[in-house]
Amino acid sequence: MEAQILLLPIGILIIAALIGLSKAKVVLKIVNMLSAVSSGVIIYDGVLGLKTTIELKYNLFNSSSFFASLDYLVFRVDALSAFFLLILGILSLCASVYGIKYMERYFEREDMRVYTFNYPLFILTMYLVVICWNLLWFIIFWELMTLFSQFLVAFEQRKEKAVKAAFKYFCMTKAGAEFIVLALILIILKATNFNANYSEIANVLPAYLSVHSATLYTLTFALLIGLGVKAAMVPLHSWLPDAHPEAPSNVSALLSGIMIKLPIYMMFRFFLGFFPLKPEIGIVIAIFGILTLFFSMMYALLQKDSKRLLAFSSIDNIGYILLPMGAGIYFLANGSQLFGGIALAAALFHTMNHAFFKGLLFLTAGSVMYETGTRDLNYLGSLAKKMPLTAFTALIGSLAIAGIPPLNGFVSKWMIYISTLTSPATSLFGIIAIFISAVTLGTFVKYFTAIFTKPPVKEINAKEVPLLMSVSQLLLALLCIVFGIYPFLPLKMISQALGSIGVQIHLDSLVVYPSLVVPKTGNYSPIIIFAFLLVSTLIVLLLIPSRGEVVPTWKTGRSEDLNMSMPADAYYRDFREVFREVYTVGDASKRFVQKIAEIGGMFGIKFEVLSYDLNSMLSIAMVLIVILVAVLGGVEL
Amino acid sequence: MNIIFIAINLAFALIIAPLIDGFERKIRARLQNRQGPSILQTWWDLIKLFKRPTIEPQDSIKSLYKLAPYITFTSVLTAYLIIPTLLPASTNFIGDLILVVYLLGLATLSFVIGAFSSGNAYAQIGSNRDVSLFMSEELLLAFIIGTIAVIGKSLSFDQLFPLPFRISSLLALLLLFLVIYVASTRLPFDIAEAEPEIIEGPLIEYSGKHLGLLKYFVFLKRLLLYSLILDFIIPIQNPIRLTCYLIGIIILSIVYSTFEAYYGRFRIDQAIRILKRASIVALIVWMIAVVGW
Repeated sequence: MEAQILLLPIGILIIAALIGLSKAKVVLKIVNMLSAVSSGVIIYDGVLGLKTTIELKYNLFNSSSFFASLDYLVFRVDALSAFFLLILGILSLCASVYGIKYMERYFEREDMRVYTFNYPLFILTMYLVVICWNLLWFIIFWELMTLFSQFLVAFEQRKEKAVKAAFKYFCMTKAGAEFIVLALILIILKATNFNANYSEIANVLPAYLSVHSATLYTLTFALLIGLGVKAAMVPLHSWLPDAHPEAPSNVSALLSGIMIKLPIYMMFRFFLGFFPLKPEIGIVIAIFGILTLFFSMMYALLQKDSKRLLAFSSIDNIGYILLPMGAGIYFLANGSQLFGGIALAAALFHTMNHAFFKGLLFLTAGSVMYETGTRDLNYLGSLAKKMPLTAFTALIGSLAIAGIPPLNGFVSKWMIYISTLTSPATSLFGIIAIFISAVTLGTFVKYFTAIFTKPPVKEINAKEVPLLMSVSQLLLALLCIVFGIYPFLPLKMISQALGSIGVQIHLDSLVVYPSLVVPKTGNYSPIIIFAFLLVSTLIVLLLIPSRGEVVPTWKTGRSEDLNMSMPADAYYRDFREVFREVYTVGDASKRFVQKIAEIGGMFGIKFEVLSYDLNSMLSIAMVLIVILVAVLGGVEL
Repeated sequence: MNIIFIAINLAFALIIAPLIDGFERKIRARLQNRQGPSILQTWWDLIKLFKRPTIEPQDSIKSLYKLAPYITFTSVLTAYLIIPTLLPASTNFIGDLILVVYLLGLATLSFVIGAFSSGNAYAQIGSNRDVSLFMSEELLLAFIIGTIAVIGKSLSFDQLFPLPFRISSLLALLLLFLVIYVASTRLPFDIAEAEPEIIEGPLIEYSGKHLGLLKYFVFLKRLLLYSLILDFIIPIQNPIRLTCYLIGIIILSIVYSTFEAYYGRFRIDQAIRILKRASIVALIVWMIAVVGW
């Protein structure tokens, strides 16, 4: 009977969505609280799933055709799903609790039903994507997830920017989903004989694909594009910096924290569970990871909109996940179990870490918006005096994302470097990752100081946010600290998760209490480092106590204000000047993509003109189908 | 046994680091035909600063402003747990090369956050330059780390000390020599703390004990980086390691302070450009290491 608990969040969230159809003001509170409760259940499911595999099976139809694969609706939580369920649960718990107060600011301006109806359904579809065990049902839930999240992005319907961003997001991810659909059809038609159950596929597909390598590469291509669009992999990322900032901040936290991780989850399923391991596939994924992290972080350095900066940094972190995933596949394919296991564990660990600190940072950006109503880094400033708790949590988030020891970001980055740097084939990837990590530090020094410490252009009225909002931030900040100092707990979950898709990582050899040790390669002891930092700081504070009087800030000797402060635009100008080639390349590729989009639009119009009358429309459709069939059949060559 | 070694190393660093600065001041003075102060002068300066009270600027974020110098100081102190100085302590369970680099990153970060929190515009400009320099420094350093990791097939110090003798390891150490020069805030590269231009930038509001701690931090960081490069060269289990180490420290400070005495300050963009060019050289060195030379 334990398995029935999987249905509980579904029920709660559907009820929440139905309540959300009402216009009453109290609905907002109820919906957020119900979402929080269901998130709690999701966490419980995750914990349960790590212990044992939970399975539920329903026979819905009795057809015997192609749709036979849809007959059974199977929910199943293995360790990998459970790991993602935990992330989803924790993050949506924080986002929902945060939303109770945060969303009140929109009461006068917006139709709240857009939020109250779509928000629980968005969580629900993400939940279903993680727990479903059938490829066809997966794609259905996947598309629904895109749909509902798109409404949430367009929440502020009167803002043209928001609607445009949502439309762009929908079009791009929808086009990406078509690639996934093609890949799934190919798998179901050719390899598995109308069976879409994950376990079946995992049994049949690797053997089939290692014989038919053309199919393997076609599938890899289609899935990389399809899942890559959703994960915002460069060069398919352009929807994300527009869409994520426009959503309400707690939704942005979910979008950045967990939704763009679900493609990562599917990549783990496909590339590690279903496909034979090939070094070249790993290298390709790693190269995309490097492109992603390099360009997105260099562009994040330029941003002056707080949430847009965070959005670019989300893309960067997808790069930090793709890179070790690709490297891990490469190592495993080449028979290096140790480095392969560490790299894959680093990918999963970073997935979790990024969910926590990016969720936290989006919530702090939301708190700042809640109080000041702006995201403009040039305008903001000096808020640490007025919002100390938010400033503290933002500082923790910034430190964690910059990978500063002893926080959680460092552990996953350390694992990435350890696994990639020493092998000549992947060494360059690790080098670029180290450099970009320093740029991340610069970006988040900018984010933190521009909002919280630099003198503002003019006095800003703000106070600390309500307790319900800071509680979520504090919880996430606490997780960043705890998982940084004690990474052994998440590593244990990760080794279970990897074990469920057939990658054995020998945790015993990795964890030599109190250190993480990679034999002959590297070692890091978070506990000792944290203890020494803490104790020595306390000792120095005792020996050399700082007590002093308050004096006016030095203003070159004048009595009135200097009226001189550095806007966020001016940060690191010299650095950007010297590294302008990066931006030249980035802008050129942007123009190139725009050109392609224009040409595509032209063809679209041509097509529309041609297919105006029924006869030519039918014949064109016929030609297209023939091409499609040829493509599908041709891969058997 | 190890713990005692580490404690001795820490005590050595804490005592010797200001003396090395005093020694370098003497050398610079001699090169400029001056008598120069005594070698102990830096210590006297520090003790004097530690006796003075501190002040808090009105516009500062008090907690961050006050805490930052302490974190900066202790983060570089933590790195001494990992890098052996006087005695070859085998402490490889605490951390590796990556951790040392990131601890120095933490030091830079808390340094600039403290400066940003002081509410002074000059401190902002200075810290901004500091971070710009840090980022470009890190590009060069990343290539060096990559090269060293490829040569030694490891990032752990018990495998890396000393580096095997190859062309690429020689070139990598030369580049490391350059990075250390840049990272130790010496004259052509002390752009963030330029006195005549932006009045010591990040340090502008700091005084008394805070200033003392930050100065002490710079000396400790220099000694740490000296020890790092020396450990890469000197065989760790050698009986004459101690002598070699001390002589190496003296040679390094003579060379570095000679450079310092003869150079004027770079502009920030010049410094970043130099580091970028050096990174291209480092890329070539990395390729040499991958080829196996």
